[in-house]
Amino acid sequence: MSAAPLLETRALTLRAAGRVLVDSLAWRVHAGERWCVIGRNGAGKSLVLRALAGLGVPERSGDVLWQGRPQADWPVGAAATLRALMPQQAQDRFALTVERVLALSEVATSAPRPRPAELLSALDIASLSDRRVDQLSGGERQRVALAQCAMQGAALMLLDEPVSFQDPAHQQVVGRWLTQAATPESGDRAWIASAHDPSWIARVATHVLALFGDGRWQAGRVDEILSAPVLEQTYGCAWRSVEGAWLPA
Amino acid sequence: MLATRSMPARDPAVLRIAVLALATALVAALALGLGAGGWDWPLIVTLRAPRVAAAAGVGSLLALAGLALQVLLRNPLADPYVLGHSGGASVGALAALLLGLQLWIGAAAGALVAGLLLLWLARPALAAADDASPKLILLGTMLAAIFGAVSTLMLALVPDQRLRGAIFWMVGDLSGADASLWHLAGSAVFVAWLWARGRSVDRLMLGADAAWLLGEPVRRLRLELLVFASLAVGLAVSTSGSVGFVGLVVAQGWRLAGVLRTRELAVLSMLSGAALLMGADLLARIVVAPLELPVGAVMALIGAPCFIWFLARGLK
Repeated sequence: MSAAPLLETRALTLRAAGRVLVDSLAWRVHAGERWCVIGRNGAGKSLVLRALAGLGVPERSGDVLWQGRPQADWPVGAAATLRALMPQQAQDRFALTVERVLALSEVATSAPRPRPAELLSALDIASLSDRRVDQLSGGERQRVALAQCAMQGAALMLLDEPVSFQDPAHQQVVGRWLTQAATPESGDRAWIASAHDPSWIARVATHVLALFGDGRWQAGRVDEILSAPVLEQTYGCAWRSVEGAWLPA
Repeated sequence: MLATRSMPARDPAVLRIAVLALATALVAALALGLGAGGWDWPLIVTLRAPRVAAAAGVGSLLALAGLALQVLLRNPLADPYVLGHSGGASVGALAALLLGLQLWIGAAAGALVAGLLLLWLARPALAAADDASPKLILLGTMLAAIFGAVSTLMLALVPDQRLRGAIFWMVGDLSGADASLWHLAGSAVFVAWLWARGRSVDRLMLGADAAWLLGEPVRRLRLELLVFASLAVGLAVSTSGSVGFVGLVVAQGWRLAGVLRTRELAVLSMLSGAALLMGADLLARIVVAPLELPVGAVMALIGAPCFIWFLARGLK
């Protein structure tokens, strides 16, 4: 692998509806890292993920580099082997089956891809294979969307709220899978996910990017960012840590 | 599980296509044989065969155009007639006739303009996260109404011997239609293109953003879909006028039957579109013989209730 970080932003500024949401973001994500993006509703988490994926956003300036190369220089096919995006809400208009949707998400890459059977059982969706995606529950559809993202086999997975619809047990299931999906030992992969629960984040992430909603941000290792002052600045309410779990006071 | 490929011989797709090909041939034989005069070879060859061939060609083109528009607009209820493409083609064809240009070129250009107009008008709805179906269909219906009014005005203001009557342009009619190799060649090229692009078109069903993220050249793909659909509608309308609902009934019917792959849908749509319109035209010829009904009216009586049924059940 090249020495350049998997993802780098230089002075990335995002605006929406006349407000600066992210100001001059200078950020590096390396293979093996697991990042969570936190911020209040409307702070720009989804917008950041869209911009990182290369999708259109209302107003942006600055640069996003994938493996040291500007986003715009990547051909659309090559980009698909580098980054995948799981949207917050899948838009199913046709009655496709889970199996079909997953098969369509495969992108030929040289990198080893997850084995479908293992992936499906790890995400507890093996029994849904023949079901229609538009008839799944919100939580089931979300886990299928995560599997789609994984099937793409990209080095960098961008996940917009991967556990927002998950019950507590499945938050654990998804968390366990995400924890082993990018590790420093295995080397060539990373993911960035927006999430809300600091306790869950503390278990699965290695790093956190906190968006304060007014353009300011702070990025760092998970134990640096998940602290009472930063969480208070992020969410506007006090936090305390009780036996490793974060609770709003 | 994933990526299983059954043996070709046991593939339900191959079986479906084979059965359907036989059924299509049977409908063709019936359409050739039934009617006043019965099995009379000179009659069949000179009179009935061109009309049956025209019905088959127009039916397959319209079914394929419906399939392409459904993916392009991400709306399983899309149909060139309902959404105003056929109306645009009628106006284009009338304009071409008045200007002394090739009929089908004018019709294809009209369909293309109608398609671009709909895409442009529906852009906010298509980009929105919520289901764009109702807005899209209402917009298309209004476009169809506008084009219908323009056609009527052109027919009223420019009474011309060369222009066929309002019924032809509004609901479609196959009496006097002539077969042309262009229809069959057009259908074959359209199916071949859908086959070659099958996986990309399948991915487009996941959404434009999703397809782009998977590495598909979405913009070019959507443009190609629109151009192919417009050429098909243009060829069909210049032969039979605006026959509706073939694309809706055929492509959506197969989807409801569980066929989801574009490749298989394309072949099945071509065959069943041909069979459906040959059958509808057969009904149009024999139900009140010796009088003839316009085939478009028969098709609307079959298709519009299907549309209402699809819509009411909220089927995808």
